Amino acid sequence: MADVNLDLADIQGLILRGYTMPAVRYLFLRIDDAAGARRFLGGLVSGDAASSPQLTTAAPWAVKPDSCLNLGITYDGLKALGLPEATLGSFPDEFRAGPAARADYVGDTRESAPAHWAPPFDKPEIHLMLSVFAAGKEALESRTASLAALFGRDGAMTEVGRRDGFELPDGRVHFGYKDGISQPTIAGGPDRKTPDMQPVIPPGSFLLGYPSQFVSHSYPVPQPAELGRNGSFVAFRVLKQEIAAFEKFLSDTAPQVGMSPDKLAAKMCGRWRNGVPVVLSPDTDSPEPPLPPDQYNNFDYVTSAEFNPDGVDDKKGFRCPIGSHLRRNNPRGQLVAGGDDGRKHRVVRRGMPYGPPFDPANPDDGIERGLLGMFIGVSILDQYEFLMSQWINDGIFTPGIGGTKDPIQGNDTPADSKFTIPDPAGKKVITGFPQFVVTRGSAYCFLPSVTAVKHLAGSP
Amino acid sequence: MTEPSTPTPSTSEPSTPTPGTSEPIPQPAKAKRVQNPLTLIMTIKSPADYEELYKQLTGIQALPPDENPLNKALIATQVVHFARFVFLENNTKMAVITAYDGSLGAYVNAFVDKVGPIFDLLLSHMADAPPLPVEQHRKEFLQYIEAHDVPVIEPFFSAYPTLTVLDILSNAEDS
Repeated sequence: MADVNLDLADIQGLILRGYTMPAVRYLFLRIDDAAGARRFLGGLVSGDAASSPQLTTAAPWAVKPDSCLNLGITYDGLKALGLPEATLGSFPDEFRAGPAARADYVGDTRESAPAHWAPPFDKPEIHLMLSVFAAGKEALESRTASLAALFGRDGAMTEVGRRDGFELPDGRVHFGYKDGISQPTIAGGPDRKTPDMQPVIPPGSFLLGYPSQFVSHSYPVPQPAELGRNGSFVAFRVLKQEIAAFEKFLSDTAPQVGMSPDKLAAKMCGRWRNGVPVVLSPDTDSPEPPLPPDQYNNFDYVTSAEFNPDGVDDKKGFRCPIGSHLRRNNPRGQLVAGGDDGRKHRVVRRGMPYGPPFDPANPDDGIERGLLGMFIGVSILDQYEFLMSQWINDGIFTPGIGGTKDPIQGNDTPADSKFTIPDPAGKKVITGFPQFVVTRGSAYCFLPSVTAVKHLAGSP
Repeated sequence: MTEPSTPTPSTSEPSTPTPGTSEPIPQPAKAKRVQNPLTLIMTIKSPADYEELYKQLTGIQALPPDENPLNKALIATQVVHFARFVFLENNTKMAVITAYDGSLGAYVNAFVDKVGPIFDLLLSHMADAPPLPVEQHRKEFLQYIEAHDVPVIEPFFSAYPTLTVLDILSNAEDS
């Protein structure tokens, strides 16, 4: 790919890089006065940090700040800002429809259906989503207070809800797995931090106004161009995780398939809980010789001349089950329906646990815990929604897992759930397990560039 | 919220017919058909367009399979089971009739990447074609397909409703 020069100072930072901060607060705002909202937006990109917190861009830091701030705007929010119909109509269909209308398509049904979503996701009141990432609680509260004083000024906007997330020890999620190991490397963005044999992704997979991952194609840029270019989209999700049910399932089922609960957990995920990829170490989380942590993302499931000439070939899933969570979310070089490999539907994931750590000694504490997830891409339809509908909640995209769903993330029911662990000595098939992840809310947001925010601030 | 019941997971496999016998292979009772029909009917612009299209298509189809761009493109999608191109109504219309796996909408990008140039060729002779090339007008291409796909009288029969192209090819490789 030819060298790509991105205007990093114009692009919101979280699209291109993680901040590695242990705390996050998502503030959901309703616009009550468009003029006041536009003044607030203008302050975020004024360059005057003394008068307003500033949007964090992708420009490199000289000194890492103690907090970062990013902005998402829903379609309802764009309407509330008073944008003209022609502009509103230039945004993608699925973004305009919103996640409640798309729920059936992505598998948000039964307990996960919009009818059961928690506030503020149960009403169409979310206009802006402010993401405040912080080095700790003090920075989080200080930044929140500054923002609240500004967005509430003269009744401009009202906070209709918030969600807080905090890092668990060792970067794990409540299910016990180490998270955040794999992210796409985007052309023009930061270099890879650790070895990764996956190809660099064209910027137009994550930013409007650039060639995408498809042939001779760029996604349409919402108009006017200063509003759309360098922007992106995010599907924000509140995902409740049924930890007690998952642990009980592992301890009940593992003996039946002749493995330890930890190994069953690894086969279902595609990684051992310490992050070691199952395809590189199918039988133990502590391979000999030890696998250095910087190699935890340097693998593929199949060999290829270009990317994996000397690696393992696990086409049949004897090492890492084809239906496992990791392999479904990113099939990497494996051939999938459509004739491509798995690289045409990458997403950038920014996730943070919410709720206190799970205590196995007190499994039924009645406390909701889970993950606050951001799934970022230039097309909600072709990235987040595609993953959910085609690879996570369906199995026809690759041989051998038809009629099945992701065993951890899918909207399984005991009546139809099925997970196969291929084995040369005879496959092991597990059925009858429940859904372990329930959607509690979702929001589709546009992530505007700095130029776009200035445009919005100046809109009449 | 009521705690959902958690039945004990099972590790059993459903029984299969005895190999080598004449027992018909049962289809799963709740099997969801993965294949879908496409009956795309397009109106050709003019007799001259028909003549040109006929010449182009028969030229392509006369090529050996491994040189036939149409053949290679359809194979590359890995979702098309069958496809045929038929002239209808005194050569004033053309039909593209296929059986394919999954959702056309979800896979339109992959489909266009592989078969786009073929459709540019066909659509350049059609009366109400979408904007071309289809690679740069994917949404309009999908809308055109959906608008010109003639609905079938359900059910669309399949002798193997749960098997995809990828399943069949993988099974063939193993046998």
